[in-house]
Amino acid sequence: MNFSIIKTIIGREYTTRVKKKSFLLTTFLVPVLIGAVAVIMGLIMAKTEDRAQNVAVIDQSGIAMPFLVSGDIYQFTDRSGESPEEMKTKIEAEGYSSLVVISPLDTVAKTVSVQIFSPKPSGVEFSGAVGRMVEDAVEDYRIGTYNIANLGQIMQDVKANVKVTEYTLDEEGGETISESGIYMMLSMILGLFIFMFVTMFSAMVMSSVIEEKASRVVEVLISSAEATELMFGKIIGVALVALTQFFLWIVLTGVIVGVVGGVAGLDFLKEQDPQQVMQMSGMSTDQMEALGLGAAADTTAVAPGEPGTMDVLTSTLSHVPWVTLIVSFFIYFILGYLLYASFFAAIGSAVENEADSSQLQIPLTIPLMLGYMILFMAFRNPDSSVVVWGSMIPFTSPIVMLARIPFGVPMWQLILSIVLLLVTFLASAWVSAKIYKAGILVFGKKATFKDLWKWLKMK
Amino acid sequence: MGIIQCNDICKSFGPKVALDHVSVDIPKGQIFGLLGPNGAGKTTLIRIINRITIPNAGEVLFDGRPITQEDVQRIGYLPEERGLYRKMEVGDQAMYLAQLKGMSMKDAQAELKKWFVRFGIQDWWKKKVEELSKGMAQKVQFITTVVHRPSLMILDEPFSGFDPVNAELIRREILRLKEEGATIILSTHNMESVEELCDGIALINKSKLVITGGVDEIRHRYGNNNIELVYTGDTALAPQEGLFAILSDENNAGRHTAVLSLDAGVTPNDALRGVLGQPVAVNSFKELIPRMNDIFIKLVTEE
Repeated sequence: MNFSIIKTIIGREYTTRVKKKSFLLTTFLVPVLIGAVAVIMGLIMAKTEDRAQNVAVIDQSGIAMPFLVSGDIYQFTDRSGESPEEMKTKIEAEGYSSLVVISPLDTVAKTVSVQIFSPKPSGVEFSGAVGRMVEDAVEDYRIGTYNIANLGQIMQDVKANVKVTEYTLDEEGGETISESGIYMMLSMILGLFIFMFVTMFSAMVMSSVIEEKASRVVEVLISSAEATELMFGKIIGVALVALTQFFLWIVLTGVIVGVVGGVAGLDFLKEQDPQQVMQMSGMSTDQMEALGLGAAADTTAVAPGEPGTMDVLTSTLSHVPWVTLIVSFFIYFILGYLLYASFFAAIGSAVENEADSSQLQIPLTIPLMLGYMILFMAFRNPDSSVVVWGSMIPFTSPIVMLARIPFGVPMWQLILSIVLLLVTFLASAWVSAKIYKAGILVFGKKATFKDLWKWLKMK
Repeated sequence: MGIIQCNDICKSFGPKVALDHVSVDIPKGQIFGLLGPNGAGKTTLIRIINRITIPNAGEVLFDGRPITQEDVQRIGYLPEERGLYRKMEVGDQAMYLAQLKGMSMKDAQAELKKWFVRFGIQDWWKKKVEELSKGMAQKVQFITTVVHRPSLMILDEPFSGFDPVNAELIRREILRLKEEGATIILSTHNMESVEELCDGIALINKSKLVITGGVDEIRHRYGNNNIELVYTGDTALAPQEGLFAILSDENNAGRHTAVLSLDAGVTPNDALRGVLGQPVAVNSFKELIPRMNDIFIKLVTEE
């Protein structure tokens, strides 16, 4: 290995890519897009209050109206005295978005029926919300019909318990993002980022190898540098491009979100430890959206005295092991990338155009997709055995482990997983270099797995 | 002892034998032709000299010792299948290839500028390779092959793809590089350029070395002892038993051009004496040596 030659190769791989228009475009456009999304989300959240729907209610049962509680989203107006037929004709004229008609109480079946009329479809969420409220009313009525002392109180207690459970399971109307919701989102985003970046930059290495082979420039290169030097120079060069892009994304997103935050009057940035904000914008740009979203909800939706979304968010985020997360993100990205990029380079060396490579790529895309699928399991149950194994096996660990970290991973597992990944990379580098060395000079035929195997055994 | 000595090189790819005990000695400061039909094993031998391919057996000596990767830095290689990065600027690309051959950035820049001026292509520096015509790209590639002042150049079909003007330019450059002391291995099918440029050759056919040596020596060796005689006389020259037979005689108004076939063991001097004994005036007496082209075809089709 001649290091000055590797340096020259890395230099070319790096500068030709960084100078490309497409690189500049993605580097600058992605943070701008994220900023734009953040602004739009912020605006939508800020407008929620104005958009609260006015709903006319004709309660013929006489029990439901007290349970139809007006909130930020729906404003219920009691129009019980009026005829439903007449009311239907003037829903829009009177500024209502819909009309809810509750039937007279059926004293035998002890229930009511609800009809919703609106000029535009009102959505499942609305009918569900109204349904739940009316159900509450009917339940209350039924409780009243039993002649048991304190039954109302007992039911209330039971109900309260039930509600707490539901609270964590489904995010009711987006009112609160529970702690595990934030963890899930964070782990999901990190896993997806690793998956995306490893795939994207490995593919970049492969197509660059194919380009050199197809244009025949490789024969001159190989007479100046050794095959291994060429291969690793390329892999390292592209890795540096990736890191440059990350760095620029972090900085630019930080700047843009900061500016957007200032303009939109979302002063959440002040509440955060500045370093933590930097880390978050670096870790996951979507996270910033979540913050923007949360902050908007905080200022508009939460009544004084209640624990706000912002508080949940801050307390949750402060429990995330940020340092471990960031360090692991880079370790897993780099090692995962090296592992896959070296294999992709070997495949690139075996073909003369990208179309021929798809069959040879299958053994690599399967573990990647597997990692992607296990990621979704980690999302639901971060400690299931599939997920734990997935975070240990080197071909899926970069994706899966990242998803586990926000939930907390024992240090020994983390270290074991990284060591396994590193060892596997070294083996893959050796295998790939052998295939690359032989494949790069074979022209005119479509390589098969048998050929790769033959090249691997060649001295 | 040559700059490159290939000793008993064997190489096979699976069951296919590419080189079968090939030994070639390439003298320093010469232009050496590597000849052979397509698929004979020339490219494999070139790749082995370049250390791109490792032989199964045998060794390559560079200046008398086993060749190393550092020696390869002193080789300039122009492969038959030319190739440059299409999207890269000509200047950047030339700089890159020069630096891969171990030149410093400053040195590469200065040398390249000189070559670009010499070839009259200064204003291509900022152009992308894909904007160049095939011939233009070939010029750039030639420069990148020789810019690092290699002591050995391996040029595989250097004239293909050039128009006659540029082919002449390249031919002159090759001779100039030779004068400056470089050794050049020329792999080509163009036998005229072999006769004109090469000092020595090696002919490979079906993975085996068929013949190697100096061009003149080989041409004489394969001469069939024929003499071209131009003479003036009223009567035609008669064949002489024990000296020569007459293969052809063209009479052009008393001026004859004849081809004599000398009998075995007869020297041109003996033959000339015999001719002088006849009533003819000798205008010219010249040994007929075969063209490389004929030798090539004879050796390759003989087997």
